[in-house]
Amino acid sequence: MPDIEELKKEVVNSQIWRSIFRGGTWSDTPRDRANHMIGNVWMHIQPAKVRKRALEWTYTWGLGGISFFLFLVLVLSGVLLMFYYRPVPGLAFRDIKDLTYAVTLGKFLRNVHRWAAQAMVLIVILHMLRVFLTGSYKRPREFNWCVGVILLTLTLFLSFTGYLLPWDQLALWAVTVGTNMAGATPFLGNAGPFGASLMHMQMNNDIRFVLLGGTTVGANTLVRFYVLHCVAVPLLLGVLIILHFWRVRKDGFSAAPYGEVTEPKLDTWPNLIKREYIAAAACLLVLMVWALLVNAPLDVIANPHATPNPEKAPWYFVGLQEMLYYFDPWIAGVMVPNVIIVGLMAIPFIDPSPKGIGRYSFKERPFANTMFLLGIIMWFIFIFMGEFCRGPNFMWYWPWQSWLLQKPAPLATWDLFGPAGVGKYPTILGLALIGAAFSGVVLLPKLIKKNLSLVKATLGCAVGFSLVALILRYGAHVPLSHGAWIVFFGTFISFFGVLIPQRHIRHLDWARYLVTMILVACTMGLLVKICARLAFNIKYLVTIPSVFLNI
Amino acid sequence: MYRKLFVLFNFALVAVLAYAIWRSAHPMWKVYQRTYYNMAADAMEKQAATIKDPAAAAKMREQAEDLRNTPLKIKQILTVFGGVDRCTTCHVAMDEFVNPTMKNDFTQQPYAAHPLVDGIDFNKTHNFQKYGCTVCHQGQGMATTAKDAHGFVDNWQKPLLKGKYIQAACARCHANFEHAKGMEFVALGKKLFYKHGCQGCHAIDGVGQTVTVDLGDIADKPLERIEPYNFSLVRIDGKALPKDQWTLQNWIFAHVASDPESFVVNDPLAKYNPQPIAPTGMVNWTADDASGHRELSEQDAAAITTFLLSLTHEQIPYQYHVAGIGPMPDPDPHFADPVAHGKYVFEKYGCAACHGLLGAKGRRNFNALGPGQVSLDQYAKLSDAQKIAEMAKGREPTLTQVVGTYDHQELVNKISNGVPEAAVARYNPDGPMPPLYMPAWKKRGLQGKELDDLATWLLTIGQSNQSQGGF
Repeated sequence: MPDIEELKKEVVNSQIWRSIFRGGTWSDTPRDRANHMIGNVWMHIQPAKVRKRALEWTYTWGLGGISFFLFLVLVLSGVLLMFYYRPVPGLAFRDIKDLTYAVTLGKFLRNVHRWAAQAMVLIVILHMLRVFLTGSYKRPREFNWCVGVILLTLTLFLSFTGYLLPWDQLALWAVTVGTNMAGATPFLGNAGPFGASLMHMQMNNDIRFVLLGGTTVGANTLVRFYVLHCVAVPLLLGVLIILHFWRVRKDGFSAAPYGEVTEPKLDTWPNLIKREYIAAAACLLVLMVWALLVNAPLDVIANPHATPNPEKAPWYFVGLQEMLYYFDPWIAGVMVPNVIIVGLMAIPFIDPSPKGIGRYSFKERPFANTMFLLGIIMWFIFIFMGEFCRGPNFMWYWPWQSWLLQKPAPLATWDLFGPAGVGKYPTILGLALIGAAFSGVVLLPKLIKKNLSLVKATLGCAVGFSLVALILRYGAHVPLSHGAWIVFFGTFISFFGVLIPQRHIRHLDWARYLVTMILVACTMGLLVKICARLAFNIKYLVTIPSVFLNI
Repeated sequence: MYRKLFVLFNFALVAVLAYAIWRSAHPMWKVYQRTYYNMAADAMEKQAATIKDPAAAAKMREQAEDLRNTPLKIKQILTVFGGVDRCTTCHVAMDEFVNPTMKNDFTQQPYAAHPLVDGIDFNKTHNFQKYGCTVCHQGQGMATTAKDAHGFVDNWQKPLLKGKYIQAACARCHANFEHAKGMEFVALGKKLFYKHGCQGCHAIDGVGQTVTVDLGDIADKPLERIEPYNFSLVRIDGKALPKDQWTLQNWIFAHVASDPESFVVNDPLAKYNPQPIAPTGMVNWTADDASGHRELSEQDAAAITTFLLSLTHEQIPYQYHVAGIGPMPDPDPHFADPVAHGKYVFEKYGCAACHGLLGAKGRRNFNALGPGQVSLDQYAKLSDAQKIAEMAKGREPTLTQVVGTYDHQELVNKISNGVPEAAVARYNPDGPMPPLYMPAWKKRGLQGKELDDLATWLLTIGQSNQSQGGF
């Protein structure tokens, strides 16, 4: 039995091995290990030494690396799938059937690709959450955070463009839902504000038309999405990933507080590399088992003349689709995602606090963590509502209810400020009303100079809203269950929209304070509107037709 | 620890990949194919034992051995219609290259050869290598697992046509099939369709009336257009259908073999919608006819379903459309006797759809006036189910009873102008609009001598059948 260590040494020190990996005879000195990283084009993307804390599993959870690994898996499996796929309606569907039934490992390959794509979307979001919670977006990493946000957006777009390719009913209608939102873009979409009236946008020249290559999802759309999915977006994503990695390395890898004294470091080889390998292997193992157990869905062939009921967007956009229930398409489908993206990119610039970099700390950053977690939780709650609580005709079905249950048509909705009063002069009074309410919420926290006790103030709000509910109960016969909604949402919104900002950010400078509070107020407005619709069946609080603003 | 994990994960990865490859390499079709080759080889060796000439016997044994060692592969037929049928991968006996005689003694599927049907050798008339399988049998030709290929799965809407239903596929290419051998069942369906006046409400490609949907492409109907709720109410032989039987065939069959009102219930009491919606206007074909017999038997219903499943807009190249055997039906036969002509006209325009065979039984028209309905005061006190039952007592006029109150000219006027939808009297004024109404036939080509003779015939049935039931 030969000694394995001896054998390894022979191999590593052989001329062939040394010709591939630069450096002299390997004697496992720190210098050798550093050289191994520096002298290798793939390894060189990582530093030669990393902080000890950055190696903790419970610090990064390996999420960034797993995202990238999933990207590699997707590129590889995607290229293999491309050998069998023709982006032509009819043929496309048939090729998927071929992959399923006739190609060796074809079904497995497609399953891996599908599930890796879904996993990547989730992991990238979790990676963002991790980076936020450890304050890793702060100076000097502001720019890289923005690149990360773009990468997240591109990941979603990449997954979305791939959704159409099987050319089944699922694909056609999910993409129809998604792209119809583009038609509601202000100025650029034919159904969006000022689109038709000011910009002369029509079905056949607006931004939706550009995306689809036609007025409906058809053969041109398939080719466009194919090129976007297989060439354009991956290229862009690849370029930005390089940028992202370069900045990660240059900005001091993970867990480096800005300007702090140097911490003890360990050699990247093998300390980080072995962890990365294990993470990738575990990830691949989970993927492969998942692909063996669960088949990627394939519905009947796409049929533009038969709409499934309900038609749903891919799960990661179902939250936005749920918003369509409460808001006009240009708000739900265009403004909400854009405000989210811009808001995310603004975070490093409106949070100047140098605290809590490189560690999880709720105490040091209570406001930032609270608001961000609130946003993430809302995003997933809306996805849950859209995916599991919406049945035929997009009506509300609890997850345990059968969709075969007949439900009465929803009651007629009403507008809070109807034709009387504000509705009579919507432009002047309505804009003034919205402006007053919005600026009230935005300014209130900074105007209260006193230090409030959070518990007492929250209780005070709850009591106040309970009084409102009681007055409505006995004055206007509003049922107590509705009163409970008012108390809960009123207190919730006062807590997160006024009390928390009052406590934590009223000392910010005006510019940062205003941007932060506008984002907070938008989030709270979203909740107010959803509460108004779900509890009180209010379609719009105010309608201002002159500026297409119905909220 | 990392060293152990490294080894563990690498082994696990290789194992899972090996399993994936193994699973991909061991599909069920390989078992079927190998079994077939072995069975065929066994049969051949048995035959060789009976041959006297040792050289010929040895040659046959050699052939059997070759058959046994045939490499396994996915077989597919690229059909002249552009389809890909992989059925012969499992049903090897129908592969001409393996089984040139296209015959064997196996009875068990998937090993049996294609049977002769009514003495017809189908491979001779419809060469399988040219036409494939699914053009007649339906199912999912590209699939290579039995369940998916037979098509009773979520992502396939045209599953196998079983039994006599397969004649639907014959009629898609063979026109004028009334006299063709082996197509008696679909021919019966066609005959019943016209005899019972289905075309009085359902046009086929624009021929017939347009009271409701045109059935010209009913075989292509996407299942997305059928409410799952309605499917869940369908009962065939008194039993609900399992999900994999929610097929178009069963949907159509249920419409004829059971009372359509029992599953296309809609919303007559406006419980789920702002306005009440009547149940389907289609009548109950399983009800007794005037002489106490069930109007259409289950067999009749299956025949009509078969005929309807032949109505497709799928593109079949013109060279595969086959004219039928026997005389073409005369589109405009000549009658000397105006009464006989009138009766012919009654059937031609599908009047039986509403007024019953020979006008002897007015059919259900939901929420129209009908015999035996309670007064509205009493109606208000009834339960929901009883209310619906009362409204369902609404009837179209039974002509044998009412023509006596008309003279010839009045009948002509009534038929010409019809009774518009909105003018049909409702039993319950808050209930839904009755779904059936009398079209203005002058707009639908019924005029001149046809109209005149129809009225003449109608006046004869009133005199002879005064005592028949109905409203």
